[in-house]
Amino acid sequence: MGETGARIAKFLLMRVAVSVPVILGIVFLTFMLIRLGGQDPVAMLAGPMADEAMLSALRAQLQLDQPMLLQFGHYMLRLAQGDLGVSWQGGIPVWGEILHLFPATLELVLLSVGLATLIGVPIGMRAATHPNGWFDQLSRFGSLAGFSMPTYWMGLMAILVFFYILRWAPPPMGRLSIEVVAPTVVTGSILVDCILEGNWQALGSALAHLALPVACFTLLAAAPMIKQSRAILIEIMNSDYVRYARANGFSKTTIRKMALRNAATPLLTFLGSELTSLLAAAALVEYIFSLSGLGQWGLNAILLGDFAVVQGYVLTLALFSVFIFMVIDLIVMLLEPRR
Amino acid sequence: MTPAASPTARHWLAYPLGLARRSPTFVVGLVIVLFFLLLAVFAPLIAPFNPTQSFSYEVLQAPGGRFFLGSDGNGMDVFSRVIYGSRYAFGIAIPAGLIMIGIGMPLGLLAGYKGGWLDEVLLRTLDVLRAFPTIILALAVVAATGQSLVSMVVVIGLLDSPIFARVVRAEVLTLRSSTFVKAAIAVGNPAWRVMFVHILPNAILGATAQLPMRMAWAVRISATLAFIGVGIQAPTPEWGAMIRQGAEYVITGEWWAALFPGLALMTLVLGFNLLGDGLTDLLDPKRRGVGK
Amino acid sequence: MMKTFAKAMVLVLGLWAALATQVVAQEKTLVMAMSATPKGFDPDIWVPGQIEAAVNLYEGLTRYGTRAGANGKLEVDPSKIEPHLADSWTVSPDGKTYLFKLKRNVRSPYGNELTAQDIVWTYEKSAVQKRTGQFMRTAARIDKVEAVSKYEVRYTLSDANRIFLGALTLHLPAIFDSVEAKKHATPEDPYATKWLALNTAGFGPYHLQTLQGGQQAVFVVNPNYAFKKPYYTKMIWREVPSPATRVALIRTGQVQYAEQIPFQQLTALRADNSVKVESVPGFGGATVRMNPRYPPFDKVKVRQAVAYATDYAAIGEAVFLGQGTRSRSMLNSPIAGAVNAYKYETDYNKAKQLLAEAGYPNGVDVTLEYSTNWWWEEPLVLQMQASLAKAGIRVTPKRIPSTEMLARRTINVWTVPFLTHLTSSFVPDPSYNMFLTAHCRGSSNVNANCDAAMDKLIDASVVERDQKRWLALLEQAQNLQADSATFVETFLPGTHEVFAACMKGYVWKPHNRLVWKDLSCGS
Repeated sequence: MGETGARIAKFLLMRVAVSVPVILGIVFLTFMLIRLGGQDPVAMLAGPMADEAMLSALRAQLQLDQPMLLQFGHYMLRLAQGDLGVSWQGGIPVWGEILHLFPATLELVLLSVGLATLIGVPIGMRAATHPNGWFDQLSRFGSLAGFSMPTYWMGLMAILVFFYILRWAPPPMGRLSIEVVAPTVVTGSILVDCILEGNWQALGSALAHLALPVACFTLLAAAPMIKQSRAILIEIMNSDYVRYARANGFSKTTIRKMALRNAATPLLTFLGSELTSLLAAAALVEYIFSLSGLGQWGLNAILLGDFAVVQGYVLTLALFSVFIFMVIDLIVMLLEPRR
Repeated sequence: MTPAASPTARHWLAYPLGLARRSPTFVVGLVIVLFFLLLAVFAPLIAPFNPTQSFSYEVLQAPGGRFFLGSDGNGMDVFSRVIYGSRYAFGIAIPAGLIMIGIGMPLGLLAGYKGGWLDEVLLRTLDVLRAFPTIILALAVVAATGQSLVSMVVVIGLLDSPIFARVVRAEVLTLRSSTFVKAAIAVGNPAWRVMFVHILPNAILGATAQLPMRMAWAVRISATLAFIGVGIQAPTPEWGAMIRQGAEYVITGEWWAALFPGLALMTLVLGFNLLGDGLTDLLDPKRRGVGK
Repeated sequence: MMKTFAKAMVLVLGLWAALATQVVAQEKTLVMAMSATPKGFDPDIWVPGQIEAAVNLYEGLTRYGTRAGANGKLEVDPSKIEPHLADSWTVSPDGKTYLFKLKRNVRSPYGNELTAQDIVWTYEKSAVQKRTGQFMRTAARIDKVEAVSKYEVRYTLSDANRIFLGALTLHLPAIFDSVEAKKHATPEDPYATKWLALNTAGFGPYHLQTLQGGQQAVFVVNPNYAFKKPYYTKMIWREVPSPATRVALIRTGQVQYAEQIPFQQLTALRADNSVKVESVPGFGGATVRMNPRYPPFDKVKVRQAVAYATDYAAIGEAVFLGQGTRSRSMLNSPIAGAVNAYKYETDYNKAKQLLAEAGYPNGVDVTLEYSTNWWWEEPLVLQMQASLAKAGIRVTPKRIPSTEMLARRTINVWTVPFLTHLTSSFVPDPSYNMFLTAHCRGSSNVNANCDAAMDKLIDASVVERDQKRWLALLEQAQNLQADSATFVETFLPGTHEVFAACMKGYVWKPHNRLVWKDLSCGS
């Protein structure tokens, strides 16, 4: 036990050490990029009835007239103290809003990725064991179709069909219906908070509101899952290990279980990268369904030049990605003591 | 070296049909891509109207009648715009693909063969890209460098390069430890000769399958950026921009302005993906599946 | 396993969809689908959503009277200014000193009574912040604001002017409950601006209850409101960023008001029985502006050529779908003194001739920049491109981010040569409008419209007290503006508010925002 503990500690330390320059690189890149454009947030802040004097005064106040590296230095200093700055639309602290909005995005992404895995892996498995059959061809076609469909378009069509025409889905107007009492905020995730509080009515409403966006997003996420699990499983089925087992007359189910266990590692790794890329794609889904998550806020901020928010948004995504990779690699490492 | 003519001379059709049997996905993908390519090349001959000509008095006409697929919110013919849209799709995908090869190929080659600091840099960049939401990156860069087609193409090409380089690098690494390369080195070939004559052609083959996938991604992400409102200026007939404008009208029943560009986009991206998938099938025997 | 899960999912969906699509009981709660939650409530600091909320939270000393309009409906009468938070006032013979007597027992939701001290505090705060409130003060030539007694306030103006009383109808400088606000003041922030940004303390009909950024804001009626109690006691402001979704929501009865509905939707919505569309021409005009500091727009003949080369009929059809009103001048009714000064009609030959005279016989290349501030910008730009081409003016449309547009068109910056802009203002006073839009010191002058003669006319009209002379000055100014052709006047997009079918009581106000207290539903 002590040895595993030591390995874990060493792994974590190394990981953190390696991640720091990566995160720094991302922060730096974002910082420079958004300032390079022609966006001048000062005008937005000053409002429609401002004059040039007001603009210059604001610019000086926000230190936007200083050289970029100096501005970056200031930002890093504040970041070290845990200050992520404020949104220039109303002076709302970025950190607070992130805590407030991120759970919504997480809900959407985790639910969708979870469902996608539950759907995608069995399909990929079946396709791998019956290769080139009709199921395989169909599932490959289906997954490629999922790759190709623009999510925003699918979301719009889904709203048109399931809400407007069929009236099955609730109005895409937020995470809860208006007449429902919201649960007290503990984690920020409505689903979790409802369960903690036993607020079943709100839970139902929240689930209903999540139905369409999760469905669209799951289709998006399932496509790569199917493709990747099929590829991984085929490779495993072809490996010497499995061939030996088959030669020894193990039953199909046993072989399948063996294959799955071996597939766990690469699948998990893939899941990690999927999660991170989907986290960013969630922004568009949130926009269409008014889910008020982090992505919606971040997207808006990029278009408006609300620098602190953009930086906070990207930093959150980057940190979360690094965290996910670390966790997954840790699990993988623990699962395979041979390495 | 051509083999001697076999006793059973094959019909000229046998080759493509054999291909179809081995990988129907490849053929379907190829057909789709070629179809859109033809549309793009012969657009002026096929499209009934100038795609940016506004018929001010015939805004949002339903399909049928004068406008085969209807007219959009500015009175422009949807059918013509969808056809010309394929020009923009290829106009983005092909240059972006070229940039990707131009940068990614040598990078992957050098990184895989030489290793060392170049390899480290490449891997670290890939790490950063992995953790960085690429669409946000693309959005920020295009917004920063000016809303033009050129900046979009360059950004997409640049973003794709490290990923392509990674694939090339993987191929190179495998090839480097193969017997014939080791033999070539042992015989005394200089490094550059080994790289270009022995490794490169084989690496290209392995990496070719990636190309259509990357191009599919290029088309998709340019449409997404246009949908958000970045990168394409009106009235350019680009599919993402068309979906953006058409989305507003879907709810009040004018579905054609958003549906047709969406279908076109989906089909072309699907075509590229099928092509890439099929190529992988054909070129990599392992992937063709396990025997029963 | 997959099958059971799918079945469960369908069950859950069905069950909760049934729950979720219950019609919201219409007991005095109005649900609004808005494009974004307000980012702040201090009327001095503009942020998105602020004005739409502030006009319902803060009220002024005066208000506009109403009259029966053309179709018998109630409309605002800009010539009638009535007392509101002030009971009455007297004015000195030279028009420079006003003494207001405040209404008694006007209380804020916090229970504090309106006193002269609140008014004084408001102007002090605006002076410190130096933002929009201060601009209004300058525009209305307010020199001093003093508390004479507990319920009496004296305004001293630097010049007698016509804008003053109209400016007092506005929600800014907002009259705050200074007693409550001062409780949140700090040494670094003596006017509680931080607290007032995210909280409300006024004497208006509504009051902020909760704000969940990005989701919704809830406003409740001010229990101490001094005037007729509004029908709706609770306003739920829901953020729904996608316009298509907002349309879906109002058509299915999920909300009773939907903001910023795309124009194209209006025709379909008018035909829908579950929805009511209230349309008012308003006086804001969609214009294309030319900056005379940039060639080729430095030549008046080029500008006039552009005016002649615009296809007004096509714009009316394609952009405004036949529902806009043609703009006839820099000022349009219901603003007093508006005349038909804009005499340009489509005439390509004239345009080409003028271009040749100005030295461009082979046409000219220009870039028309626009943003996404208003829905009609892009369609209008595309129509301009098509039509100007027929006179040899080759237009390249260029869409720029709204922040860039805001920055570059700011007064004294003026780096956009050719752009789209909406002429509008809060106050339906002609002098004020002209000052704002066409005067060299006007903050809505976006195209460097700096003509000495024009400025003189406008300044004179602001202080002119004789009615006939005043109207003459206004006419002169409008003709001068039309001749200089720095604005291409197209159409008045109008204001179109979309409600649930039962909604009654809507009256358009000159600040062009929805006033909640007038609304009611059903019997």
